[in-house]
Amino acid sequence: MPELLRPGSVDEAAGLIGSHGAAAAVLAGGTSLLREIWPSDAGYLIAVDGLGLDRVEARDGGWSIGAAVPLRALREAVPIPALQAATREIGGPAVQNMATVGGNLFARAPFGDLAPALLALGADLVFASADGEATQPIDAFYAAWSDGAPPRAGLLIRIELDEPAGASAYLKCARRRYSTPSVVTVAACVETDGGTVSAARVALSGASAAPFRCGAAERAVIGSALDDAAMAAAAAAAEAAVTPATDPVATDWYRRRMAGVFVRRVLAQLA
Amino acid sequence: MESKLIRLTVNGREEAVVADPLATLQDVLRDSLELTAVKSGCGQGGCGSCSVLVDGELRLSCLTLAERVEGAEITTLEGLNETNAIVPLQQAFVENYAAQCGYCTAGMVMAAKALLDRNPAPSRDEIVEGLSGNLCRCTGFAPIVRAVEQAARALSGEEAS
Ligand SMILES: Cc1cc2nc3c(=O)[nH]c(=O)nc-3n(C[C@H](O)[C@H](O)[C@H](O)COP(=O)(O)OP(=O)(O)OC[C@H]3O[C@@H](n4cnc5c(N)ncnc54)[C@H](O)[C@@H]3O)c2cc1C
Ligand code: FES
Ligand code: FES
Repeated sequence: MPELLRPGSVDEAAGLIGSHGAAAAVLAGGTSLLREIWPSDAGYLIAVDGLGLDRVEARDGGWSIGAAVPLRALREAVPIPALQAATREIGGPAVQNMATVGGNLFARAPFGDLAPALLALGADLVFASADGEATQPIDAFYAAWSDGAPPRAGLLIRIELDEPAGASAYLKCARRRYSTPSVVTVAACVETDGGTVSAARVALSGASAAPFRCGAAERAVIGSALDDAAMAAAAAAAEAAVTPATDPVATDWYRRRMAGVFVRRVLAQLA
Repeated sequence: MESKLIRLTVNGREEAVVADPLATLQDVLRDSLELTAVKSGCGQGGCGSCSVLVDGELRLSCLTLAERVEGAEITTLEGLNETNAIVPLQQAFVENYAAQCGYCTAGMVMAAKALLDRNPAPSRDEIVEGLSGNLCRCTGFAPIVRAVEQAARALSGEEAS
């Protein structure tokens, strides 16, 4: 059985994670970790409640979101459509009261439904270590994953999110409505200028070993109107870009098809 | 590992139990406090049969460490009414035949209570969403949803009168 440690400050927590290395696991809402931990070899659980990381602060032009903010609290505090849709689609009400934003960003496929929303919104992640704070764009965080697992990233303390310049949307493809693992999830944020797409971010989760931004789908719509042809091109680009897995939820073939279908549908919500 | 004294407020009563520091709230409620309306269906967060309220919010007691809810108000089904008589929400389950084996029922009632406390007049879709973390494997969901619809109507009737 691991030992539960309760640091009194972010610095102390970061220090414990640094000194215990691979033997330490951050315990946030526990909705993933406490399912997996009992047979696990983690020697120490570092609890991150009580460190002041459970607050959302509205700042000039955006929000600072504590890593330990529960998903429902995030939905109530930040009125961005893609984010609100994403938090409604993760587990049921009890999971949404317990599971934290930070915990979800570390979730492995087929979980990790929040990631596409924050990728499409261009969030930054702020980590604390014994050396101080370090900020990383969320794309870079996921690009560093290997074999579907996060790198030893240290303690995520908050997410910095700017008010999006464009409109955003989010869709989860699943076998039933609510409280179910995803086949794929997609999110998009699109800026238009006189009917032409001037900027676009399209992201997927569940479709590859780690959540990612699909540059090819973005290029397919930038510079043209968000019409049927552009959306079909983005869908085809997404189908070609994903590297899905087969698991009890879906086959790789089905995930690839749904990646295309749902990229088209999420863009259609913004057209 | 050394046991620990854990102090909890459960159904309005102060309780002190000696438990493993990693004991779940589910274990403490069922085994130490004998509040067996809290069920143990999966221990994985997947069925909702262990649902309780922590400071009025729906939580899964199987994925909650007891130690981390010290100081919070914990409510189990047993705490819905101090005289142990059934409350109107439970009566609606009875009248709609919303329990067959009954294993999911306490969790369903707690999820329904959490929903109605926040939203006394939910739509059918909001009820389905509110109960979506709770599985029933024998009654079927239609009578359960009807029970919550009836309870909501009764609730708004009570408020009107
Ligand atoms: C019934 C059920 C349904 C679910 N449905 C979904 C779903 O539909 N979609 C979905 O995406 N997920 C789902 N999940 C999976 C999961 O529980 C969530 O993804 C959740 O957001 C994890 O958050 P947590 O706070 O509970 O994390 P924990 O379980 O506490 O931790 C999860 C992982 O993240 C790490 N971690 C947590 N916080 C930090 C931090 N601040 N810094 C560094 N590392 C950290 C932990 O060390 C651990 O490895 C479901 C889980 C359950 C039980
Ligand atoms: S026993 Fe807790 S959710 Fe199944
Ligand atoms: S009544 Fe039997 S599981 Fe719901």
